[in-house]
Amino acid sequence: MSADPRPTDSDTTIIAQTSTRVVVPIILLVAIALLLQGHNLPGGGFIAGVLTVTGFALIYIIYGLRYVEQGLLHRTVVPRSLPAGDDESQAGPPISKEFGEIFTTGLALAAGSGLVAMAFDLPFLSQGVLFVEGLPLYGHVEFASALAFDLGVYLVVVGGLLTILAVVGAE
Amino acid sequence: MQPSQGVLLAVLALPFLAAAVTPLLYRVVGERVAYFAAAVAAGAFALIASQFGTHGTVSLQWIPALDVSLALYVDGLSLLLGLIVSGVGVLIFTYSGAYMHDEPGKAKYYTTLLVFMGAMLGVAFAADLLALFVFWELTSVSSFILIGHYQDQDDSQYAARKAMFITVAGGLFMLVGFLLLYTVSGDVLGEATFRLVGTEGALIENAGAMQEGLRSAGLFVPVVVLIGIGAAAKSAQVPLHIWLPNAMEAPTPVSAFLHSATMVKAGVYLVGRFRPLLGTPEWELFFATLGLLTMTVAAILAVAADDIKELLAYSTASHLGLIIAGFGLQSVYGAETGAFHILNHALFKAALFLVAGIVAHEAGTRLLSELGGLWRALPITAAVAAIAALGMAGLPPFNGFYSKELLFEATYHAAEHAGGLWWLLPAVAVFGSIFTFLYSIRFLSLFAGEKPEAIEHVHSPPMAMLAPPVLLATLAGIVGLGGVSATAGIHLGPLEHFIERVVEAVGASEPHFGYHLPTSLTPAAGMSAITIVVGAVTYPFYGRIAAGVQRLIAIDPIRPNFYYDGLVSWLDRTTIVSGTVHTGRLRTYATWFFLAVAGLAIAGYSGAGVVFPAISSLAAEPAMVIVLAVAVVAALAVTRAPSHIAGVLTLSILGFMVAIFYILASAPDLALTQLVIETLVLVLFLLILDHLPEFYGEVDRIRALRDGAVSAVVGITVFLTVLVSTAATPGKPIAQYFIERAGVPAEHGSTLLDFGGGGNIVNVILVDFRAFDTMGEISVIAMAALSVITLIAMRERGETQ
Repeated sequence: MSADPRPTDSDTTIIAQTSTRVVVPIILLVAIALLLQGHNLPGGGFIAGVLTVTGFALIYIIYGLRYVEQGLLHRTVVPRSLPAGDDESQAGPPISKEFGEIFTTGLALAAGSGLVAMAFDLPFLSQGVLFVEGLPLYGHVEFASALAFDLGVYLVVVGGLLTILAVVGAE
Repeated sequence: MQPSQGVLLAVLALPFLAAAVTPLLYRVVGERVAYFAAAVAAGAFALIASQFGTHGTVSLQWIPALDVSLALYVDGLSLLLGLIVSGVGVLIFTYSGAYMHDEPGKAKYYTTLLVFMGAMLGVAFAADLLALFVFWELTSVSSFILIGHYQDQDDSQYAARKAMFITVAGGLFMLVGFLLLYTVSGDVLGEATFRLVGTEGALIENAGAMQEGLRSAGLFVPVVVLIGIGAAAKSAQVPLHIWLPNAMEAPTPVSAFLHSATMVKAGVYLVGRFRPLLGTPEWELFFATLGLLTMTVAAILAVAADDIKELLAYSTASHLGLIIAGFGLQSVYGAETGAFHILNHALFKAALFLVAGIVAHEAGTRLLSELGGLWRALPITAAVAAIAALGMAGLPPFNGFYSKELLFEATYHAAEHAGGLWWLLPAVAVFGSIFTFLYSIRFLSLFAGEKPEAIEHVHSPPMAMLAPPVLLATLAGIVGLGGVSATAGIHLGPLEHFIERVVEAVGASEPHFGYHLPTSLTPAAGMSAITIVVGAVTYPFYGRIAAGVQRLIAIDPIRPNFYYDGLVSWLDRTTIVSGTVHTGRLRTYATWFFLAVAGLAIAGYSGAGVVFPAISSLAAEPAMVIVLAVAVVAALAVTRAPSHIAGVLTLSILGFMVAIFYILASAPDLALTQLVIETLVLVLFLLILDHLPEFYGEVDRIRALRDGAVSAVVGITVFLTVLVSTAATPGKPIAQYFIERAGVPAEHGSTLLDFGGGGNIVNVILVDFRAFDTMGEISVIAMAALSVITLIAMRERGETQ
């Protein structure tokens, strides 16, 4: 396997590749910002999740599926054009497994954050807010338990849409 | 005494919880999970037995909004069924531990069997029609899985589908009957109720008024017939009996448990349960005819059977017919017949199935013509078979004799009262019993005589397979001996008292149940004597009778299977469905789906008498007008787009215009979401466009017109829906609450529970006020991803494995 992360199975232009490299980190950063500020300003887990997926989708289109699997997830991938199912070396778990774990985690996190409320004898999915004063740099910080739930939403959206993207893209 | 709510809920919960952990446990302890399951059944048995002597209802709110509660009712009948289910369950699980040793799919087997046991206990204790129905269908589903246990065999699949089709369809007839009862109860009792029994407003407690109400609505006979069809499908009554012989494809412990001792008893249980509510002359005519017909026809068919499991299957149907006939007859003898024979039949038939399992397991064949002389190799099994088969034959002093006496007495009683054609009842009862006698003796004969050469050395069965039938036969023997000792004046007190309570539960008032050998020549004793004598005289001609019956059932038009197979294969061949609806083309499915949804929605509006609001003003800001106009132009342009790329890009113009509209309408969150989604969709489209043909094909005019019409219908429906749903203004808007509670209040401590504590109301609604909705939505996303994985990424796997 070659360690060269350069695209091998796509025919996109150098302009597209360069701008993707610049744009994707910005997209991901914006997504995280949207997730964190969602409680007080426009944003939230769902939008942040979709935006993250858009960033990954760009990489998929511009650099191809193999780049994501090899360069980002460090996996050996045999080209899918080979006939399937002849021996074990081919049959590593499909990439969608990682994404599957993401949305499973997200779902568990969201449900778990609801169960925490039940431990305090509140209805399922009750949310609370904790205010902390005097932190260095930030000063006054507001911790909303809803953030945990929102993070769960984020992970489910990211995992779910990436699964669909990967499976459909692999076709 | 009132039953304990905790114990009853534990009885219901225990099998289901055990089923949930069984697959995990199986990985740890392997096939010893059978003994875990047996322990669960024993626990359920002990819990039910602790409720012995109680009577009454416990109730638990289930769906309060629909007034559905999980009400459990305990009386003699439900205790009897509950004890049979859990008690036979213990024995079956123990037996399975040895029988299933070399069989595949053990984790699935034990899980399903436990689920079945839970569902069956639910049927026994449900006091509510809806709960009864749910558990009822659950038993059908678990039976389906168990019959199809050997998944790669065509016979097994055919049998499973047939059983599922007939029993579930029968259940739906029963559901219609339940709904009719519910509707009528609204007129009669003031308040419609699904509660069958136990409380003041329940159906059975107002049986007289309900019968009046049903009659005046003209629904009495339909309700009896609908419930009768449900019971007949489940209890394999003619002509719906055809699934039961095929169901013998299941592993033998399943046949013993589901298809002789318990599940098929659900139908007769239903008849017994409804007897106090609907017991009338019409009821008597319907169920006595159905039961005696089944008893006779199935007994004749059993004579023709060569496979011992098939023989037992037909015999089961026949004995279920006997019980149904008993519950059909309105005299107290009828009630006693049904009540007592439920117990007797469970004891001897389960034992016989387990014997059949031992024979098949150890001798390697199930064919009567190949078996014989097994008493030398299997002496204990032979003794068990003798006690059970003679009980089945109705020979004194074995247990089946007493319940059959009661049936004769009940039919004679009915004939004596009504006269005329009713004299057919005792005649048919005797006629059917002769065949019962014949096949019982034939079954027993496989132990007698000399062993044929073809059978190799027969092993003796392991302890775990032998103990259950021995126990059952011992119990059957004790019941039989109880009758002998009662003749001498020593009664089997607890048993007689228990049956008395069952008789009371099926609608006889102040019963005095006792059974003993006949001491004088009553008509019933005479009928028994005729049965045994004629049976003994004709037994030497068994082979000729069997051949005659086989010739008879080779005639197609009198075989119910001929109609079933004909219908099923016609559905396979016909193109009525596959040519118009199920074409395999996405556009056909989309057309039907959209039209159906639109049709249902519009029918719903007109049915509910929705008035569409008048549109009062169309004023909008100029900016909005421009944005919407661009959107409309883009929408029209999509239809004229010459290529996929152009179409997708035009479509995204529409999407972005909607986003701008949201901005203008001060909804930044929505606008943000719309923009991001629109971008993602565009990107996805570009990803797959590579693989599609560049240009659209030619569209013919007719198809374009049809598609246009579908689009118009869908568009109009959506438009109307938006109009109707936005026009409704609730009396107490909730918006104000959100505005007050979403933010951070001016004064607050370090924690905040009553308020959302966020500046973005939309997000606070999503994650706090309406978090449960969001939870559901993300579950849908996860499910969509899972289905994409299974449908696309894993589609190769199922067929190769």
